Amino acid sequence: MNSKERLTRRLAGKPVDRAPNCNLIMAFAPLYIGKPQSQFYLDYKVLVESNLRVAKDFDLDILGAISDPFREVFDFGGKVEFPEDDIPLCSDNLLKSYEDLPKLQIFDPYRSTRMQDRIQGIELYKREAGSEYPIMGWVEAPFAEAVDLRGMNEIMLDVYDHPEKLHQLLEICLEAEIRSAVAQIKAGADLIGMGDAAASLLGPDLFGAFALPYEQRLIAAVHEAGALARLHICGNTTAILNLMKLSGADIIDVDWKVNFKLACETYRGYAAACGNFDPVAVVQQGTPARIREAVWKCLDAGDANTLIMAGCEIPLSTPHENLKAIAEALRDYPRY
Amino acid sequence: MRANEIKDLIIKGDAAGTAWGVEEMLAAGLAVDDIIQGILVSAMNVVGERFREGQIFVPEMLIAARAMKAGLKILEPLILQAGRKYLGKVVIGTVKGDLHDIGKNLVGTMLQGAGWDVVDLGVDVAPEKFLKAVKEQKPAAIGLSALLSTTMGSMKTVLGLLEQEGLRSQVKVLVGGAPVSEKYATEIGADGYAPDAGTAVHVFARYAS
Ligand code: B12
Repeated sequence: MNSKERLTRRLAGKPVDRAPNCNLIMAFAPLYIGKPQSQFYLDYKVLVESNLRVAKDFDLDILGAISDPFREVFDFGGKVEFPEDDIPLCSDNLLKSYEDLPKLQIFDPYRSTRMQDRIQGIELYKREAGSEYPIMGWVEAPFAEAVDLRGMNEIMLDVYDHPEKLHQLLEICLEAEIRSAVAQIKAGADLIGMGDAAASLLGPDLFGAFALPYEQRLIAAVHEAGALARLHICGNTTAILNLMKLSGADIIDVDWKVNFKLACETYRGYAAACGNFDPVAVVQQGTPARIREAVWKCLDAGDANTLIMAGCEIPLSTPHENLKAIAEALRDYPRY
Repeated sequence: MRANEIKDLIIKGDAAGTAWGVEEMLAAGLAVDDIIQGILVSAMNVVGERFREGQIFVPEMLIAARAMKAGLKILEPLILQAGRKYLGKVVIGTVKGDLHDIGKNLVGTMLQGAGWDVVDLGVDVAPEKFLKAVKEQKPAAIGLSALLSTTMGSMKTVLGLLEQEGLRSQVKVLVGGAPVSEKYATEIGADGYAPDAGTAVHVFARYAS
């Protein structure tokens, strides 16, 4: 059973040899193959090569084009720095005032710099391993993108001070993300992941007003273009689980602060829950024995379609034996 | 307007109403300290509590903090005039390599509301910059914020640097941020830790001059 079959069968609730290993890999990948961080963000060949190596060596079941949150910001014209050996940095907000909103041009992914690089990454994945692995494109969800463009503190006040303007900004973000997602699907992505971590800071009312409707429209567009959708909101999302299930996503990631059993129950009939052990305390700092226990606990709490990952990105400095331990725990689980 | 009504305005995040209410309280002859402790601080305690319990979220906390600040602004000239003393000075900042500042800002505002003179060094603050601030500002305490497991090590560097410069005994060091724990704080030799902004006010209060 290859990874593609494994994920498809598991999502359908059909028997599998082991639950798919859906960990999110970013900064860990270039470090693993001994390449400087900056190349991972700027050169799709490095992103693809390093992720393929990680997937093969640690039995991951998805090849992802996720790297950092600032691809779209860059293509909108924002300033992003790429330190030689660190993650990208965006310390200056592009949209300081809503007066500049009309100047915000939605980019064409095919003529952009960083989204175009991601599209090429998907094409390369497809050529190298498209029949074996599901290929996952990535976009920021509209609310997260608005935060990337305007700043977290600003958006957190805009929800009360400038709701109309914020909706205008969200429409622009939505359009950019739909174009980016569809282009990745055309390039061969089987699923599109979307990150909306910033939305975890909203309570249910505001999440329902400013995040969910845009997630729904983005996900509908992904489905229409023929791919699956994966919603990733890290942080403690307990208060919005009930709303997230209405997003339409096929896979919903669950961070470690959420009770996984509750999440699986909430998503039953709506989506496959994917989670949820602590990336830092368990994966980076834990022992293989502790990791096995954590993985099995998630599998015990889950359903026949439950997927497994650490609540968020695998930390850069994770010991290799710990990442191996996740795969081994999945392989050895006795109760599939 | 009654004290409770102003408190409600703060909790609701109504900055203009809060400012107006505070002016009214002053006109009615209430003492500055009573307004700060009885209204502003007490309202923010409620806000901190509700945030901790998941009844309100970050935007509500931020607009409440802003309303509290609007009230504080009315009082500022009087505070200085009356020679009212701050609880002391604190320097806060997010450690090197880390850009997360929402939590740090909330802690700063709550401390300000509680009567501290707060110097905010911003984000991505190098250990040397904390050291410089300690030398120049002579704060009673510094507060370090880190949200990344990769940057929390910088807290230890700051402590080491203070030690090396012989300044460690002159300043209390408090740490916080999502990946930081009481255990970690003890391990690196910090003086205190708080899981949220409301608790931070209590922890810092131990070191008021
Ligand atoms: C908002 C956010 C961002 C925003 C930050 C915007 C901003 N201006 O702050 C942006 C998009 C820029 C961002 C970027 C990144 N982020 Co981020 N982000 C978050 C998010 C969603 C919320 C953090 C937050 O604001 N919480 C709300 C505040 C109120 O809580 P708090 O900060 O914990 O503060 C409270 C307490 O901790 C305490 N406190 C805080 N400081 C202090 C200090 C003292 C002295 C005391 C006493 C108390 C105290 O009081 C506060 C108030 O109650 C979290 C996930 C989540 N939902 O929690 C991830 C998260 C923190 N980010 C994460 C990551 C990995 C990143 C990136 C590396 C992603 C990437 N690969 O590019 C980058 C790093 C950028 C950088 N160099 O810093 C991870 C960190 C994992 C880890 N433990 O290492 C998290 C946990 C997401 C996850 N699950 O993986 N992020």
